[in-house]
Amino acid sequence: MTTEESTISPLQARLDARGVSRRTFLKFCVAIAVMAGLGKAAAPDVAQALEKSTSGKLLPVVWLELASCSGCTESTAQVTTPDIASVVLELISLNYSETLSAAAGVSLDKARTDTIAAGGYVAVIEGAVVRGWDGNGLRIGGMKGTDLVKETCEKADAVIAVGSCAVDGGWQAGYPNPADCCGVTEFLKAEGISVPIINIPTCPVNPDWLVAVLVDYIMLGKLPELDDKNMPSLIFGESIHDNCPRRGHFENGEFVYQFGSVEEEKGYCLYAVGCKGPQTYAKCPITRWNESISWCVEAGSPCIGCANADPTRTTRNWVDTMTPFLKRQRNMRIGDLYFQAAPVAATVTGIVAAALVCHGFGMKAAGRTKGGADFEPIRTYDAKKLKQAGKEAPTTPINEGNVEKFTKGGDE
Amino acid sequence: MAHLAHYRESHPLPFVITHWINLVGFILLIFTGFYIHYPFFPNFMSQARGVHIFFGFVIVINCIFRVVAAFFIKSAPAEGTRTVETDIHSWLPQKGNRHQLGAWIKYYLFIKKTHPLGAKFGVPQKISYGLIPFLILFMGYTGLCLWAPAQQVGFFSAGITLLGGLAGVRVWHYVFMWVFIIFIFIHVYLANIEGLSPTFMMFLWKEHPGLTYDPETGTITGYDDLGGSAPKTEAAPVAK
Ligand code: SF4
Ligand code: SF4
Repeated sequence: MTTEESTISPLQARLDARGVSRRTFLKFCVAIAVMAGLGKAAAPDVAQALEKSTSGKLLPVVWLELASCSGCTESTAQVTTPDIASVVLELISLNYSETLSAAAGVSLDKARTDTIAAGGYVAVIEGAVVRGWDGNGLRIGGMKGTDLVKETCEKADAVIAVGSCAVDGGWQAGYPNPADCCGVTEFLKAEGISVPIINIPTCPVNPDWLVAVLVDYIMLGKLPELDDKNMPSLIFGESIHDNCPRRGHFENGEFVYQFGSVEEEKGYCLYAVGCKGPQTYAKCPITRWNESISWCVEAGSPCIGCANADPTRTTRNWVDTMTPFLKRQRNMRIGDLYFQAAPVAATVTGIVAAALVCHGFGMKAAGRTKGGADFEPIRTYDAKKLKQAGKEAPTTPINEGNVEKFTKGGDE
Repeated sequence: MAHLAHYRESHPLPFVITHWINLVGFILLIFTGFYIHYPFFPNFMSQARGVHIFFGFVIVINCIFRVVAAFFIKSAPAEGTRTVETDIHSWLPQKGNRHQLGAWIKYYLFIKKTHPLGAKFGVPQKISYGLIPFLILFMGYTGLCLWAPAQQVGFFSAGITLLGGLAGVRVWHYVFMWVFIIFIFIHVYLANIEGLSPTFMMFLWKEHPGLTYDPETGTITGYDDLGGSAPKTEAAPVAK
């Protein structure tokens, strides 16, 4: 029985059992191959590798859930609608998951420590690390969450941070961040634990991207190509805006200005209602969500920029930098005061303009508007110098009328 | 009433042209920039972006040309004189500016009754003009950070990270546009409040009679009626 537990039946049979045709499966492999950076041509290899690995040893995975809403687990498990991705996810042996594991209590924790002891596993982290209250803000099985992360990540072959919270704190780290939450990268760096990290933001994580990363790892035994934020470049290398099906409307200047309007019905661009697509880099329009059925903008919601992340700067979590969701520009904040740059800048400029107008009246009253005041005959500083030297400095202001008198009369 | 004669030497033709380019460019950039920030009327986005990006390059190139040209083209170091020296001297502190910052501030606050003597630009003017090229380059840089084709070039992506991600760059680019607008207000005000002759000089290259000034000694030397019969006491404020 124990051997059966660590292997699974041939993939095709499992796909058949779920009503997934070979054709659909291959299409899925193409998508995975592209996301994993192998190119379309590698799709058959992916299929083969997936089939082969179904009879081989499974990749042990420890899935920690920290400060999170379980959305990423939900998204990945898609329990109500099992699809190919969930089948592929059976390529891994999910040894520990607080939400999904059948086991509980001491035996579950033992599964985790056993996996760590055996080595050769991948740690998947969902949710933010809670540093507040000396790490006691989040305790699991009597253990501080922070210790749990340290223990689990230290010996892992790789750490995959799924969802924005695990990447840079996400929602949980939004100002004022009372629980002092942060992402895995920042936490492990501070703890001096160096382990390869793959960041997959978005809220929740797109399961297909996690699968692509896992396939890449299982097949090639290496991490996908990462950018400077350790995010897979092929997934986060293009903007939402560049692949958006509403882009034509954007270029034509056809915008939704109000929800419930005719423009919205026509499927116009959501830029004017705050779409963050132009400043968000992710493959959402290509991969789409929920078994590739749709995605935010297609479903009628402006992109809220959940793929924006900065793993080393908690304060740049996507919630702080992308809100208000329905405004063009992010909020500025001084202390606890939030404001939009536009009205403040316009007010300051207005004040300057008003001041200039007032000054203008002053200039007019002083009779300077018709050519300026008379010139000082000598710079004040030079006049002082002259006086100090016991000489006399000229005092009569110079203008067009008297200039010749002074300049000809040997003024120096 | 007193003002210095405006000679073409103070604003050589190339600089009249770069000033024109700036004027047209700024107006178009500010308008299309507001539109891109929020499309307040429909059906104009690709045109707005096209104009904005094109004139963004024009302004940056114009700015670089203007600064480089300052090292080669000669201009008068002060109004009221036809003597010329390399233009860059007018940008750096000149002898005529020395100890005059306080005088200028006092003059504009109506504490000082007489017009301070100076070089071509007064001290506050010089400081703000000197900062403008940096402002233009900053706008050009942040503008390119927001332009998709440049976003992933290392030189720009580094700046994007530094300035707080694309959302942050947007705010910087936007707020500094307002700084520009404030500058333009003050600039237009100060250039014209004592008469429109500087504007006629700058845009139409039209000279205007007035007092003459010797940049060597830093003193007023006489009056030049440009061979005309402009009245001396009631100095005509507007060149007609
Ligand atoms: S809906 Fe958003 S992402 Fe799509 S074209 Fe408009 S602004 Fe760009
Ligand atoms: S479209 Fe935008 S809001 Fe939606 S998942 Fe992608 S990045 Fe997040």
